[in-house]
Amino acid sequence: MPDPARSIALAPPRGIGRSLLLTVPMALFTLLLFTPVLRQPGWPVKLAALATWAFMIALFLLMMRTRKTYRWRRIFFITLGFLFPVGFIWDLVALRSSMSIPMERMLSGDTPFCFMVIPMTLIPAALTKTIIFPGSILPTPSNPHSIAMMVALWLLATVVLGKAWCSYGCFFGGLDEGFASIAKKARIRKINPKWRLAPWAILVAIVLLSAATYEPIYCMWLCPFKAVTEFPEVRSAQTAFQFGIFIALFLTLVVVLPFLTKRRTQCAFFCPFGAFQSIFSRTSVFDIRIDREKCGAGCVLCQNNCPTLAIDQNSIQAGKTLTSCTRCGACVDVCRKDAAVWHIKGTLLGVTPERARLLYLYAAWVFASMFGGSIIANSLQKLIGLVV
Amino acid sequence: MGGVAEALALGFGSGPVCIASCGPVLLPWLGAEPRGLRTTGWLLTLFLGGRLGGYLAFAVVAWAAGLAIPVDLHTRTLVFGLANFGLAALLGFSACVPRRRCAKAPGEGQTLYQVGPTERFRPPAAVTLGFLTGLNLCPPFVTAGVRAAATRSLPGALAFFVFFFVGTAAWFLPSLAVSPLRRFSAVPVVARMTMAALAIYYAYLGVVCAASWRLVPSRAGNLVISITRMVTHA
Amino acid sequence: MKRLTAILGYGAAVLTIVVAVAGPLFWFGIFSRAAAKTPLRIDPMYTGGEPARIIAGDGYQIAVYKPVLKRGPLSQTASFVQIVWKPASALPPAISDPVDLDGDGRPDCVVSFQASRDPHAKLRVSVRPLTALVQPMNEVGKDSFSSLIARVNDTILVRVPLR
Repeated sequence: MPDPARSIALAPPRGIGRSLLLTVPMALFTLLLFTPVLRQPGWPVKLAALATWAFMIALFLLMMRTRKTYRWRRIFFITLGFLFPVGFIWDLVALRSSMSIPMERMLSGDTPFCFMVIPMTLIPAALTKTIIFPGSILPTPSNPHSIAMMVALWLLATVVLGKAWCSYGCFFGGLDEGFASIAKKARIRKINPKWRLAPWAILVAIVLLSAATYEPIYCMWLCPFKAVTEFPEVRSAQTAFQFGIFIALFLTLVVVLPFLTKRRTQCAFFCPFGAFQSIFSRTSVFDIRIDREKCGAGCVLCQNNCPTLAIDQNSIQAGKTLTSCTRCGACVDVCRKDAAVWHIKGTLLGVTPERARLLYLYAAWVFASMFGGSIIANSLQKLIGLVV
Repeated sequence: MGGVAEALALGFGSGPVCIASCGPVLLPWLGAEPRGLRTTGWLLTLFLGGRLGGYLAFAVVAWAAGLAIPVDLHTRTLVFGLANFGLAALLGFSACVPRRRCAKAPGEGQTLYQVGPTERFRPPAAVTLGFLTGLNLCPPFVTAGVRAAATRSLPGALAFFVFFFVGTAAWFLPSLAVSPLRRFSAVPVVARMTMAALAIYYAYLGVVCAASWRLVPSRAGNLVISITRMVTHA
Repeated sequence: MKRLTAILGYGAAVLTIVVAVAGPLFWFGIFSRAAAKTPLRIDPMYTGGEPARIIAGDGYQIAVYKPVLKRGPLSQTASFVQIVWKPASALPPAISDPVDLDGDGRPDCVVSFQASRDPHAKLRVSVRPLTALVQPMNEVGKDSFSSLIARVNDTILVRVPLR
């Protein structure tokens, strides 16, 4: 067992003064980010922006005070996951009274670009300099979610977060995590670890097929989140069949299986973008390490609590998590021996894990506030306008 | 000589399209094979040989019929549909057949997984996969067909296709890079899963071709569309 | 050596925070300007390709685009030619125009549709081939990206599949 005087796992909460001191820079910077929104006319906008700012800062303060990450990050992430469709669908219904994308919108390049398309576009872009997506390269008044903007966002997220995009950025993952959090106990506990490789198979299949067909295969056939965003209008047997697949995948992978397993099943066993981001898992300077000496015989609490099955016996022996680790912090928070710790590459293991965690959270939470915070504020504004 | 150069140039210029078309079948198949570079090269050669067989089959028809594009659209659709069903069946079988420990595992504790029930299954499967992918008429092939149909002799048409094929085959050599990736134990597993997923897609293509060929009744399709439209616009 | 790697590690960590902070302020504009200068464009299956020629009609124009060829044997979208009538508001109620698709001076097909002024009216197009280049279309709506009629802004857009 760790020395109680030096253990993080057994440490008392950080003093409120120090916690506030650590939170102030984050509070000031995120207030700066929200200032343009606060200047917009209309009090629902201002109220939503202020509420979101307060929400993000409160969670960050709790992270500082309790020295825990996972529980507070999860609250933000689930909120993002459930509020994103609210704002998105609201805008669709206001614009065209339907969640379906009419052909005319695709022909005029008004389809919002989604980051999930990125892996599929690479080979066709390299071979023919064309983007296989009915969007626009640059933002337009009718389509601010242009390809350039979303790719720029993805690059920024990859540099800052790496695979942690799946814990701080991806609103789809928030839905998955939300349904996984409902049940108190998992009804399905044994999951064959080979299913962790399925996202790679999906990624390889859609990349190869997209290069062969010059169509975004995942968007056309496999995206479960078409059920809560937008989908091509049903105008033929094929599009009707595609719609059925989207609904079936969403219910199975995002609602039912997470509920039964208490794992992020869509993220861990299906999402090809997650597999794609895993390529950049090792490029981030932040990671989670496992000190084998402190771990000892092994209670496997970390393995059992990992939402994406990114820890197994082999990785524990190797002293690190798998490339599918989303840096959510669940394993660190649950470890009683200070064996699973936050770490900065190049530094000594376990020497200053709290410092590594703080630096990581500053980077991650800035991104989360900028991206996820803006989405939450936008959706809140719609809800406030609905109520009042 | 000019014809040889033309065929080689046309083939080499068309290579990216060919590898993009054949890649979904070839790359996972090679990735699932638990063997070294030499075996991978042999299987690639068999695949390309089968693909050449598919091309030459159409070349013979093209020359015999004197047509720029061999056979009519209706029959082509039938051929594509059958080829896609064949690919789906072969990929699905290869992906899903129970794996077994290879008799020549290099060391204790090291498990090699074999695709297919026996080692003797793999060569004919590689040739068959190549032949079925070769039956698909990609645009460069059509272009070569136009040129080949203009020759005055069957040997001339066949020779043109052979050199066209050699030009495209150069682009398949980088697929040998799959071989060193297999030292990661996850690669054959991912490759088999990929084949299973692709088998479903090729089966769908077969269904689409069958529907185009009017084998599937359209009334059921219209009913599904009507119901789905009611749901999405509710 | 350990000290050096630790300094580099902390330096990279701080740099990540700097990137996270500065990124939203500067990065998007820089990247967008860079993206605009690349030769990347949207796939012609969605844009319809590049305009080839303009045919003058009676108070309107017909823009014929270059053929968009099928990319590969697995592609579900056939080769097609896009034809655009503009402005839609100036079109007569019924259109039946012969169109030369390949620029040889002879019409390849006759395109017929009802050009309703109501922007929400469903459009249907029929195409009668005059050469072997074109596939026939009979009261087609928005079947696929290679066979459709659609109202996009103030234009009527028709895509005719090729053999």
